[in-house]
Amino acid sequence: MTGFRTYEVYQRARLGETTELIKPRQLTSEAYLHDPYPLVATLREHYPCYRDWPGNAFWITRYDDVTSVFADDANYETRSRATMCGRAGWGRDLGDELDVLRCLERTADIHGESIARRLACALDRDLATEVLARFPFELLCTAMAVEPTAELARWYLLIQRAPGWEPRSRQAGLDALDALAVWAEPLLAERRAGGDGEDLLSVVARLGGTGADLAVTLLEIDHGTLHGVLANLWWHLLTVPERLADVRSDPLLAKAAVLETMRHSPPIVSVDRFTRHEVERFGRLLPDGALVRLSAAAANRDPSVFGEPDEFDLHRRDLCQREPRGQYRADGLPSGISFGTGEPSKHPAVPDDRPRSSYAITRDLAVRMTRVIIDELPAVRLADGAAPTMRSLRLGEIHTCWSLPVEV
Amino acid sequence: MSVCPFHQVLDDTLALSDPAPGASGARRDFPLMPIGQAVDMGRTADGTPLIDPRLFDSTEFQRNPYPYYRIMRDHHPVLYDALHNSYWVTRYADIEACYNDDEGFNTIPKGMSNGVLGNTQLELSGVEHRRRRNLYGRHLVGQALDKRIPIIERLAEDMIGTWFDGTAPEGAVVPDDQHPHRRSVELGQAFANEFPIRVVCQVLGFPDEARSQFFYWYSSMMNGLGGSETAHLGIGARQDLEDYVGELVAQRRVQPTFLYDDAGNPIGKDIISELCHTVVDGDLLSTEEITSNIALVVGGGGETTRGAILNMWYLLLQQRDQFDLVCADPNRWDAAFHETLRCASSIGGQPRHTTWDITLHDVTIPAGSLVNMVDFSANHDERVFADPERFDVFRSDLYTGKIIRSGYDKDGRRSHMAFGVGPHLCPGAWISQQESVLGSKVLARALATRQVSVAIDEARMPKDIDGTSLAPIGLGAIRALWLTLESPGR
Repeated sequence: MTGFRTYEVYQRARLGETTELIKPRQLTSEAYLHDPYPLVATLREHYPCYRDWPGNAFWITRYDDVTSVFADDANYETRSRATMCGRAGWGRDLGDELDVLRCLERTADIHGESIARRLACALDRDLATEVLARFPFELLCTAMAVEPTAELARWYLLIQRAPGWEPRSRQAGLDALDALAVWAEPLLAERRAGGDGEDLLSVVARLGGTGADLAVTLLEIDHGTLHGVLANLWWHLLTVPERLADVRSDPLLAKAAVLETMRHSPPIVSVDRFTRHEVERFGRLLPDGALVRLSAAAANRDPSVFGEPDEFDLHRRDLCQREPRGQYRADGLPSGISFGTGEPSKHPAVPDDRPRSSYAITRDLAVRMTRVIIDELPAVRLADGAAPTMRSLRLGEIHTCWSLPVEV
Repeated sequence: MSVCPFHQVLDDTLALSDPAPGASGARRDFPLMPIGQAVDMGRTADGTPLIDPRLFDSTEFQRNPYPYYRIMRDHHPVLYDALHNSYWVTRYADIEACYNDDEGFNTIPKGMSNGVLGNTQLELSGVEHRRRRNLYGRHLVGQALDKRIPIIERLAEDMIGTWFDGTAPEGAVVPDDQHPHRRSVELGQAFANEFPIRVVCQVLGFPDEARSQFFYWYSSMMNGLGGSETAHLGIGARQDLEDYVGELVAQRRVQPTFLYDDAGNPIGKDIISELCHTVVDGDLLSTEEITSNIALVVGGGGETTRGAILNMWYLLLQQRDQFDLVCADPNRWDAAFHETLRCASSIGGQPRHTTWDITLHDVTIPAGSLVNMVDFSANHDERVFADPERFDVFRSDLYTGKIIRSGYDKDGRRSHMAFGVGPHLCPGAWISQQESVLGSKVLARALATRQVSVAIDEARMPKDIDGTSLAPIGLGAIRALWLTLESPGR
């Protein structure tokens, strides 16, 4: 009987260890959805491994702790979105297949810029919804070589909510997964017969994928980071016009802006991992199967790692400029943690025959889109009277700016 | 590409311009429904009702839980709650099986209670659990208890006697200025809060002077379990208890003290002295371990019995015919006690953690997950108890005999789940029944001999949302029960 014992060390809290400075309900409050930073700062400062009883989770908030748990696959696991929405085994996630990765990289490299330009030129009123939120969806449709229909857009948005906790959205997400699988089936059959297409559907068909496999693959791809980073980045540029002027004057600053956004305003504010077995860490015994909630929001503003962490600084010199591969201090400097950008590679360098990581692809797409907007919309500014803010629509969803009304 | 008005789809699908504040956040204000009716939380395409996990934090659920438990039993017998990272198991048969499978569903300490109470037998399993459980379990059952019953009975008589001779605790008995023969009594303050504490103090061997502290210890610890906003008070109370017990332990390790029966003959060592001299695995129990065991008896022995007495009288007095029948034959108080616990007990259920991946009703529960066994729901499972929302002392499907560890399932009668079942059956079940039944018998007798009639003092009791009917018990026990006593006019 592995894993079973009848007797176990327990940990009684002592008076000095009580956590009065924060109430667990604050971590599920509207205030947290709008601005998680003050709350997680309290955790980071006082309770680096906070036991959230109602949420049945351990919150990890210090930079070094978060990165160490994130990089430690021996002791912690990330459960797939399919598992979290009760669809484990329903379809195969083909997202790790080399051919799929190459297809996504190719789409980004060949079509990323033209899609960005087309969306930017068609901008009417709202940069966030018409351009930035739409960009990853258009890329996906281009990768699949299908029309970006309204129906597809709806499924694309709904499946992202399938792993959530809200029952109606969860159900709608599961229904959308089913619909996507049914929709994909004849297309896969067609392209399988077609032979050597380079689009995502042909690639999946060649891998023997079914409609359900495609649906699960799309479910597991991270769509939120690209959208969220871009929307948060442009929030930073539009609300402080001097920053925008800065980035206009120096094209190299676009990359700095993306990296600083990933650090200062990561759209995925926390990621849940689970212990694979009992782990003694942070002065605690984390039981087998415990939910460890890694707060990127807290870690990225850890003052022991970044100077003036609450400042958005395009000229920051204490932020790693390279892709964090395998560890988060690739050239001796810490990276901003923006999760959902793919598991860090264990290789010191990307071999020639491997596609770039989804982190690098996402970063480059964000830089490209930013440069395109600067080129195509030289006069873009925030609409008069607009006061956009960032927020998560639901607990656990991306923290981003959902509306950026502009004048062009 | 004009085929897709993407921003519009985005707005519709994510309800971006939804003006309702709080509707999409992690908290939701549920409307208070008439008892027995559930808020509509959405349905799947085939009509299966959904459960919104925000429900479990709501006032509505606290007061009106049973229609929701019914939905869970019927449609989601194993409900995954992603918001609270836990699973809810609600059917009687499943809970019974899980309680009996203490390998697959373990009790090792991850619960909200052990931070305050300590490493009690609640968190032990297998042989470790059995060894410790028997250390003091025998004080709570059988002969040791039987010998003490006359003392418990006299205690109840003394306490209830004070209602009539003017020595009742401050504020517990209120005369009625308009009606000289009428008075209001708060059953909790006047009897039920204090009575179980006195019994527990005696069995533990606490000196009388500790009684005043006792209420503070148990209420603070019970209100200060892990995760509550008053957790620091609970931990403070536990520290205080430990300091107090530390001294007692030091004394009794040298000089044990004994319990005596009515005739003054020693029955045996009291629980603390017993624990002080107990050897487990070749070593004496530490003060920490002893305190944890005492904390459990303090927490479990006070609040739960208090709640059972108050709920029993509240339910019975609302069913006058049943109350009269029970008073007519005092042997029926045992059935009334069990039906009360089936209908509304103080403890809602017990947590378990899966030791390995377990699939139940097509839901795979990963190893290490928190699984809430909802005793409340098991007791209202229509698969076991007919018309489960009805309080009926005379129901034919409830077993009301001696409490049995393995549960009872014969002749169409089943035991209720309020004490659990299997290895972790409540060790205080029997003494709790004795206290509640004995206390109620004494009270009924005291009223009958004085020809005093009793009714709920509705004016002083909280009302339901309609403003007129009495508030439902909901989850847990009622906080106070005001009674009107009317003596015969002279």
